Amino acid sequence: MKILLIGMNHRSAPLAVRERYAEGDPGPALRKLALCEEIEEAVLVSTCNRVELVVSTRNIEEAVLRVHRFFRTDLIHDGAEVAGASFDDITYEHRDRDAVRHVFRVASSLDSMVVGEPQILGQMKDAYRLAVENEVCGPVLSRLFQRAFATAKRVKNETRIAQRPVSVARVAVDLARQIFEDLGDKSALLLGAGEMIELSLIALQREGLGEVRVANRTFANAEELAVRFSATPHRLSELESLLPKADVVLCCVGGDQPLLAYGMVKRALDARRSRPVIFIDMGVPRNVDPRIETLDNAYVYDMDDLESVAEANAGERRRESDQAEVIVAQEQIQFDSWLAALKAVPTIRHLRARAELIRSDELARMSGRLRLDDQQREGVEALTRAIVNKLLHAPLSHLRNEAESGGGVESLEAARVLFALDDATAPGAAADEALRGEMERSRLAEAAQATADPDTAAAADEGDEGEDPEQ
Amino acid sequence: MVEFHQLAAAIYLAAGIGALVGVVLPAPRMSRGAAFGLVLGAAVQAVAFATLHRVESPPITSLPVVLASSAWMLVVFSVLLSFRVRLPGLAAVVGPVAFLSVFVASINWQPGAGHAVEVSATGTWPHLHVLLASAGLALLGIAGLAGLFFLLEHRRLKAKPPRAATVSLPSLEALDRVNVVTTAVGFALLTLGILTGMIWLQEAEGKAWMGTTHEAWMVISWAIYAGLVVARYAGRQGARQAAASALAGFAFLLFGVMGVGVMS
Repeated sequence: MKILLIGMNHRSAPLAVRERYAEGDPGPALRKLALCEEIEEAVLVSTCNRVELVVSTRNIEEAVLRVHRFFRTDLIHDGAEVAGASFDDITYEHRDRDAVRHVFRVASSLDSMVVGEPQILGQMKDAYRLAVENEVCGPVLSRLFQRAFATAKRVKNETRIAQRPVSVARVAVDLARQIFEDLGDKSALLLGAGEMIELSLIALQREGLGEVRVANRTFANAEELAVRFSATPHRLSELESLLPKADVVLCCVGGDQPLLAYGMVKRALDARRSRPVIFIDMGVPRNVDPRIETLDNAYVYDMDDLESVAEANAGERRRESDQAEVIVAQEQIQFDSWLAALKAVPTIRHLRARAELIRSDELARMSGRLRLDDQQREGVEALTRAIVNKLLHAPLSHLRNEAESGGGVESLEAARVLFALDDATAPGAAADEALRGEMERSRLAEAAQATADPDTAAAADEGDEGEDPEQ
Repeated sequence: MVEFHQLAAAIYLAAGIGALVGVVLPAPRMSRGAAFGLVLGAAVQAVAFATLHRVESPPITSLPVVLASSAWMLVVFSVLLSFRVRLPGLAAVVGPVAFLSVFVASINWQPGAGHAVEVSATGTWPHLHVLLASAGLALLGIAGLAGLFFLLEHRRLKAKPPRAATVSLPSLEALDRVNVVTTAVGFALLTLGILTGMIWLQEAEGKAWMGTTHEAWMVISWAIYAGLVVARYAGRQGARQAAASALAGFAFLLFGVMGVGVMS
């Protein structure tokens, strides 16, 4: 079985191109694709930063052509050719080991625009679930995606890749969390209405921030913001009385002079006794008097501070990605072994089925002559089964080990010849039909199990929300 | 009995190393394992204390016993606190401190040797005195530790630009809360420890004050902590000053209990 991945992402194709292939409900297209002879299984990962189709196939060259047609005819919205660039220029193709590695890297957020962002894992789980629900995902891709989720979980737990925030808004929240144990009983004061302030407030509210007050020079604007954030509107003239109640102050207002003067903040801090306040100053020029930093319980961060931290964290993530690549490589080796061992499975099952049929036929033939009672028959059953198992143990182990190490084609062929597995007239050949039925039932059972529980291998959902979503 | 203390010391050391690795990597499983290790070590030490009276004239008020019991209480209180407040990194310090204390205590463990006060140590009062004073010392030790963490975190967060944390420490709010609670309760226990010590002396020697250096240092330490508690509850001290005071106060107290005991 071969694995093929063809797709485009934020590096290979501009958004204007990617959005033409982005499919909200790819179910029907996937079902149609899976009906094709050259495609065994398919999963489509479609986010605003990437559109990737992963398929398993027995004929990879035919599958490549089929997937290209799928992109050009079934997936594209307007049916028009991609202007200014050929399809090959905007897409990439990975096969087998490279495809596995790519899927693992994408799930682990190593291929994301912002390395370490957590959204992609949830999006891949959605893609996998959709494929399972549409019955286009079988045992190979199920295994691939479940191992990808497990890899992502390992990367998350064993590296710091997702720990340090890289957006200014999330840095502000992270700093607040290092000062306050619980944001649920804290209140924020919003001064002004900049975009960055809104993003920071959204991030803070996601962390469970308690009360929010909004003060603005134009009261109508404060009211409008208050409605959006379930806050209470205030006039800027109330600032002196609002300040002692605020644990988090987010400010971004115009003006040549700092809005928050040293004396005013000192009085507020005295009124709060020893409780700290964090000031997120996003105004340019700054809204918070720099002397306030000298006050013990005031933690003041301006845009320069936040951007410096974000930049340092991005560098740290890049350094951590080396360690994450090692984890991906380890997981890839394991998956490769599993995939390679699959080659041996039909031959092993075939050989076992033949041997078992010969054993049971011979036993049935002899039991009439021997006139065995029940206890004796059970003994002979166990004896013959043990002989067959011991005889088969060495060759089957050899076939399995050879396959897991990536080779073993010659051994498999030799086994088929030596045991006449392809000879329909050989003893035990009657087992072949029953075996085919059993393998089909097994395949269906595996697919049904995957449908019932798509997240079995890796329940790595925790922390799936964060900054810089892919979608 | 000494063997139990040495076994507990080894477990504390392993837990401390595990906790350190847990916060540096970070590895949550390792941190959980370290917390379990502390509990196990405390259980082993509890067995050691339970067998204290198997020997004749147990050295209840000797420095090694005080050191070992303070370490035991330090571990017990830090585990109890971690149920209420998220305190990453605390076990990484508590483990090695407990190891060092219990190990030093175990190698100096001799019946009747090293008494802080050379008076008869039989009856309820000396037991109560050691228990309460050790508990107070342990809690004020945690307050000092929280103070140290607070000062480090405060300095880091006040830097321009703020530096990334190399290890995950508790939030400033959590550290301050631990400081407030442990200082208040620790001071109350220290007060009771001193009072029970005076009652013990009164019963054994007929006077509550022997005029030893140990007693003088303890009274001065008590007065310092009384001042800290009043300043904090009267709202005259901010979180940073309280953290620095808790650290300095504990250093003074530690010298009063251990340093003076060793030198005398």
